[in-house]
Amino acid sequence: MKEVKTTLQSIACGGTGGDITAVDSVDGKIVRIRPINYLDTYTADELEPAMWKLEAGGEILTPGYKSAPNYFALAYKNRVYSKNRVKYPLKRVDWEPGGDPAKINAANRGKSKFVRISWEEALDIMESELKRIIETYGPHSVLTIGEDGHRESKDLHSGGGMHSTVMDKLGGYTRETRTPDSVEGWYWGAKHFWGAGSQKGLGMPAPPQQDYNSWHVAKDITENTEMIAFAAGDLELTQNYGSQFWSRLIKFWEKVGKEFVVIDPFCNYTAACHPTMKWIPILPNTDAALDFAVMYVWITEGLYDADYIATHSVGFEKVKAYVLGEDEEGIAKTPAWASERCGVPVWTIKAYARNRAKKVTSSVHFSSGAIKGPYSHEPGRTHAYLLGMQGLGKPGVQQMFMNSATIGKETIAATTCSPFTMLNKCRMFYPSAQSIPRTMIAEALLNGQAKWWGSPCIVFVETAEQFQEMNYPGDPQAALAMAQAMAAYMGVEPPTEAPRLNKFHMLWSEKPCNQNCWDGGFRYQDAIRTNEVEFFVTNHQWLENDSLFADLVLPVTTVLEENDAVGGSMIISIRHACLTPAACDRVGESKSDYEIGLELGDRFGFREQLDMGMSEEEWFKFGFEQSRLPEEITWEEYSKRGFYFPKQDPNADSVLPGMRGFYLDPENWPLDTPTGKLEFWSEALATTFPDDFERTPMAKWIVGGPKSEGWYHDESLWGERCKQFPLLVVANPARFRVHVQGDDIKWFREIETCKVKGPDGYLYEPIWMNPADAEARGITDGDIVKLFNERGTILLGARVSDRVVKGAVMVHKGSRVDPIAEHLDRGGAINLISPENQVSKYCKGFAVTGYLVEAAKVTGEEYAGWKADYPEAFERDYDPAIGINYNSWVVE
Amino acid sequence: MKAFLIDVTKCVGCHACQIGCKDEHCDNDWAPYAAPQPEVGQFWLKVNQYERGGNSHVRVAYIPTLCNHCENAPCMKAAKNGAVYRREDGLVLIDPVKAKGQKKIVEACPYHVVYWNEELQIPQKCTGCAHLLDGNHPISVPRCVDNCHVDVITFGEEADLDLEGTEVLHPEWGTKPRVFYKGLPKKFIAGTVYDPVAEEVVIGAAVTVSGEAGTYAAVTNDWGDFTVDGLPEADWTVTIEKDGKQTSFSVSTKEKDQGLPDIALA
Repeated sequence: MKEVKTTLQSIACGGTGGDITAVDSVDGKIVRIRPINYLDTYTADELEPAMWKLEAGGEILTPGYKSAPNYFALAYKNRVYSKNRVKYPLKRVDWEPGGDPAKINAANRGKSKFVRISWEEALDIMESELKRIIETYGPHSVLTIGEDGHRESKDLHSGGGMHSTVMDKLGGYTRETRTPDSVEGWYWGAKHFWGAGSQKGLGMPAPPQQDYNSWHVAKDITENTEMIAFAAGDLELTQNYGSQFWSRLIKFWEKVGKEFVVIDPFCNYTAACHPTMKWIPILPNTDAALDFAVMYVWITEGLYDADYIATHSVGFEKVKAYVLGEDEEGIAKTPAWASERCGVPVWTIKAYARNRAKKVTSSVHFSSGAIKGPYSHEPGRTHAYLLGMQGLGKPGVQQMFMNSATIGKETIAATTCSPFTMLNKCRMFYPSAQSIPRTMIAEALLNGQAKWWGSPCIVFVETAEQFQEMNYPGDPQAALAMAQAMAAYMGVEPPTEAPRLNKFHMLWSEKPCNQNCWDGGFRYQDAIRTNEVEFFVTNHQWLENDSLFADLVLPVTTVLEENDAVGGSMIISIRHACLTPAACDRVGESKSDYEIGLELGDRFGFREQLDMGMSEEEWFKFGFEQSRLPEEITWEEYSKRGFYFPKQDPNADSVLPGMRGFYLDPENWPLDTPTGKLEFWSEALATTFPDDFERTPMAKWIVGGPKSEGWYHDESLWGERCKQFPLLVVANPARFRVHVQGDDIKWFREIETCKVKGPDGYLYEPIWMNPADAEARGITDGDIVKLFNERGTILLGARVSDRVVKGAVMVHKGSRVDPIAEHLDRGGAINLISPENQVSKYCKGFAVTGYLVEAAKVTGEEYAGWKADYPEAFERDYDPAIGINYNSWVVE
Repeated sequence: MKAFLIDVTKCVGCHACQIGCKDEHCDNDWAPYAAPQPEVGQFWLKVNQYERGGNSHVRVAYIPTLCNHCENAPCMKAAKNGAVYRREDGLVLIDPVKAKGQKKIVEACPYHVVYWNEELQIPQKCTGCAHLLDGNHPISVPRCVDNCHVDVITFGEEADLDLEGTEVLHPEWGTKPRVFYKGLPKKFIAGTVYDPVAEEVVIGAAVTVSGEAGTYAAVTNDWGDFTVDGLPEADWTVTIEKDGKQTSFSVSTKEKDQGLPDIALA
């Protein structure tokens, strides 16, 4: 038998790793990927100090001795050896360097194919184009996309931001700011109610006195909560980000008698599999109406904590008057009023209100639903108001979210989510002289300018930053002032010359999925196809999404091909530090982002500034020594064992859970709101944006209206556009993908609910439709369906199901794009047709669910017409097992 | 003798068992136990999904299915040259060499868990990961078992498994499966009861579900909800009663579960 080599890996789609997996390989090829048993490496006694415990009703939950890798990680062999891997550097056939509009053929991006070139040629292009762009426009004319590494978990080899590091050495770049995706409603809304929150900026509650960390929330819920409300959260689905441990936690909660309620237009994966779940179907993005009716019941029946409101909040009278109809508007937000809007029966609204009042309730949120829709600041605030009215921080009254989901607290933990070691600081968010929010790149390219408020960086941004006006192109004097302030802070010589700022003309992406992960994808395609973009390069492992629109694609190694050190520290069963040597041989000629950076470092003569003259092994040891791990384990021991679980803090119990400090003592544990209290009415918003009728100083039921009247959205069933587009789409993350990752996993694609096989043999992304809506449109299971609005049309496969509420359709986000023509796509990437104009006027986050569409069956005639008009799109190589792939886009 | 025990009440539908099976057998040659499984199209272990109910009472049942390693295996009878054999531990295996060309082995299985490999011209199915059980590998349990993080699938000596109250699939076929199931879904009737005048849910209403197949009772909870589960396939009369108000109607679980529209108790 050939020798099996086993390495440990921490595979997850984000920056901080997942539950540990073992990868067995033979002769450099992966044989299997499996969970590990910690007892193979450590004894139970050795592990004991690291094992957290949850206790309730005589039952105990621990992380156990076996890891629970996310099923995405367990299928990763399919990712590494995907037929869609970029094996070699690729150049678009009709693009030439030099920026000449006649030779870049910008309009052909996403149409013309690629040819293989050598690394030498690819690096020549990189070097010459970077020099040309910098010489012509200045270094800030390079936009680096994807600094956050929202894809694989890497550390030294960097999951994003290596391009920014390289550009930094070349004099600067335009920074693409990651907007607060997945937490929009909290970020733009709830922050004005309960402060900056977790990670000093995410918008979910966390005490400033604990450096914005909410510890022990799961513990408080386990011990004190009676009912858990999943509003905008589907744990069974979202946990795939890092671990499947959360299924065990739900089962444990079931066992100790917790009750659950799930409010969702879709009978989501958590509601569908656990028999204890009460599902309340609701129309998409109408949660604020439901919440106001709950407040109405509570206020009229005296079911809220009035004492707490008196001591812990300001401005409640204004909300109360609005809810009771005792304000200028004069409309009482009764259950009947809400029922008309959200579709939940009056009796169920009342039952929900009373159950939440009667039973100690915590809310669990995991990045879905209304929190990501148009005007998400409204449901974000109303969800928060409900927790406030029940005494946020009281035993069992908490909000659990991704960053507060950490169970236990390790002695050497810095925060609830940060890794125990960090090497290459690529992922860190550098300030830059010029920046653009990720949601506004298309606008910047198409209009040549953009204006927004706030950075709007996802974390480490105080609430007041949202009041700051920002512009593109940037103001050189403002950039100089910022650089001088930073120099003063760091005690170094301040610069005296303002930077040369220009519009960007080169795009360099290490996360090429903006059109699919973010909003207004078709408009993004339009923008990329202009001559403004002289050169678009992507570093990526797979030939998909934005890479199809690139001029140069650089092949990148997957996490399993790299020697790295990545621990897991967020939404996993037990947090760890881990060494992750290469599990297999490299695929094709791929290089890591870090190595690509080093190659360019060689070209430009600053390699030593990138690798610091250190070998990989030296980096890992350096990272270890910089961390707090040496307080508990030696390097020799750590590198021998391969992973380490830091010990639980013996004094962990002295750390107050979640928002308890504020509950017990609001004077000494104030929030970081202007008054230090919960602000039902935000004077800061009232003063700063007096003209804002979309996000007013307090949450309201906002439905939007016509553009001519200054509204940013008309995406509800109470405006004009709904007459043309009467369905509301729910676009949650997918069950069998993580965001846009893994759409090519063969073993997922053949699961019956993952794709729908059309009559043409193409595996379409499913559109889940209620039987009544399907019947009204003559749609049956398996039909090809076009889903459209003014922004374009995508093709999908019908899945008729009782799991989706009437009036809504559900399309999981993240299916890969497969362009047929402009604003017409076969791949079913729902974000191609999501709104283009963000959350609201002053809030430039994305709105990617809960908007208007119409669905129709694709007729044979229409299909034949497309085939005749765009033969090249239908003739591209297609393998149903993995869909579009490398062969579809590369010519020999 | 080895057996599988599958507790479907614990299953969350993640499909990690199905993925584990693929990961172990696709592109890996475990001769003489098995030839590689094709990348797609075969499911030596498959999670079947059943959407149940309607309106606001919807659930999904997930049922992992695999070769039953029958004591009385029709595939063994259909095979020539001893191409299908039973190991001492009870696992039924197909010899990939001897079975070449024997399509009858596929056709013989009433559970449709034997697949035909067109390229290799052989029948293929679950091996219970016998190659892992026999040692010299990093793990020694079937991959579906190893990948399950909520203990739905267990595997071991029959005597060590808690088989109390379990069922097998289609006992009437007389194949004597060695895969035992706990909690296989029966039928349910569920609904929400409300007072149309007060527009309130009705809590504590007595619900009686009766028919020739028996009588079942439930009481509405804090949401006005009731669920009567574990019903046989039959016609039923549902009677709901509280404070002198009563309503009664007929439903059938012969075809499907009944997730009812909200029920007015007037």
